[in-house]
Amino acid sequence: METIKNYLETMFANLPNTAEVLRAKRELGQMMEDKYNELISEGKSENEAVGAVIADFGNLDELAEDLGLKKEVEEERALMEASPRRFIGLDEAKTYIRFTAMRALGIGIAVALCILCATGPIMADGIPGIPGALGVIALFGMLVVAIAIFILIGTAGDSWKHLDKELCSIDYSTANYVNNERERFKFNHAAELTIGIILCAACWIPAAVLGESRMLSASRFADSLSAVMLLVFVAVGVFLIIHSSLIMGGYEKLLKLNDRDTVGGSYVPEFTERYSNQAAGTVLKYYWPTVRAIYLIWSFLTFAWWRTWIIWPLAAVIHSIIKGVVKTADNEEVAK
Amino acid sequence: MIRENEGISSDVIRGYNDTMILCILRREPSYGYEISKQIRSLSNEKYIIKETTLYSAFSRMEKNGFIESFEADKGLEGNGKKRTYYRITPAGENYYNEKCEEWKLTKEVVDSFV
Repeated sequence: METIKNYLETMFANLPNTAEVLRAKRELGQMMEDKYNELISEGKSENEAVGAVIADFGNLDELAEDLGLKKEVEEERALMEASPRRFIGLDEAKTYIRFTAMRALGIGIAVALCILCATGPIMADGIPGIPGALGVIALFGMLVVAIAIFILIGTAGDSWKHLDKELCSIDYSTANYVNNERERFKFNHAAELTIGIILCAACWIPAAVLGESRMLSASRFADSLSAVMLLVFVAVGVFLIIHSSLIMGGYEKLLKLNDRDTVGGSYVPEFTERYSNQAAGTVLKYYWPTVRAIYLIWSFLTFAWWRTWIIWPLAAVIHSIIKGVVKTADNEEVAK
Repeated sequence: MIRENEGISSDVIRGYNDTMILCILRREPSYGYEISKQIRSLSNEKYIIKETTLYSAFSRMEKNGFIESFEADKGLEGNGKKRTYYRITPAGENYYNEKCEEWKLTKEVVDSFV
């Protein structure tokens, strides 16, 4: 029965996603299911039944004509011939999902290392007996590892460039698989994201607790321990946020390959951001890289890591405001 | 056995798919697979209608007002699953009678040469 369902979905994949087409698909599916069940109850084997049902399905051209879709079907065919879509099969989709998981882990760790690298000098400063040079070595060691991970993942990502640069599509059963995986990951995604945000928001708590405790207060050790704890909280939080977002992004990228207006695109995520305002789109595109650059430059110039992180929540608020303004501007433009 | 898209015979018979479906619906309302099964058995297994052809005919005749569709449970042995049933309308009855007349004439004409 699964074969028949996939066959039907594949046949309909490139037809427009209208109520009429969906009804035709449902009705044909019901007829095929009835026929299949009867053949099975007559004692036919699964393969025989599937073969007979598919042989008597007919072709969609005639149906398209009666549904008034002849033009669409022909346009679609011409488009496919003019610019054939690269087909992403189930195996390739699975490989991509594995790659995304690895990349999410790698980038998460690398970014966390970039945040944590400051702990080297801070600890060297706070704990007596550790030479300052060791702290600097730790700092650069972590940075080197992070950069190495970035380069490695960037190189590995090159083999997936076709997903962005070429027209690709996935078939129904692959889309179904990816969608199921995405649904399964949704809970983890929400959990990681929530814990990550809580950690970032609560990063000042260890410092506050240490500040209260009399035993350690006012010592250099306590100061540096507070700073280190703060950075660890932020690093773990950022890791969780990046990790879950990148994995989710991988699923959505695969699902977005199909055209949303066709039956095959039923799983395309609802919400895709588009800015009609070119300038605003460009600004938002370079927004986060710019913020990151400012953060790193400011941090390295001042070495005030316990203060510079404030740039992230600030940037997020500013980002929302810009987005809100751009959206309203866009809507007004549409209204005109 | 006549299968569609096989030889010239399909062109003639295709013009009468509507007549066959209407004939079955005149007896009682029915649904997709049941109708295709009846066409098969009434033609003594000589004509097997394709699913897409059948659905095309449904959607075309519904637009023309010859048949109406409604949702109903499948008979007595029903597993509770709803199916789309079709029933014939007075306009469909008229159309059926016209097609029958047309066929009688066609048959007479062709017969005089066979």
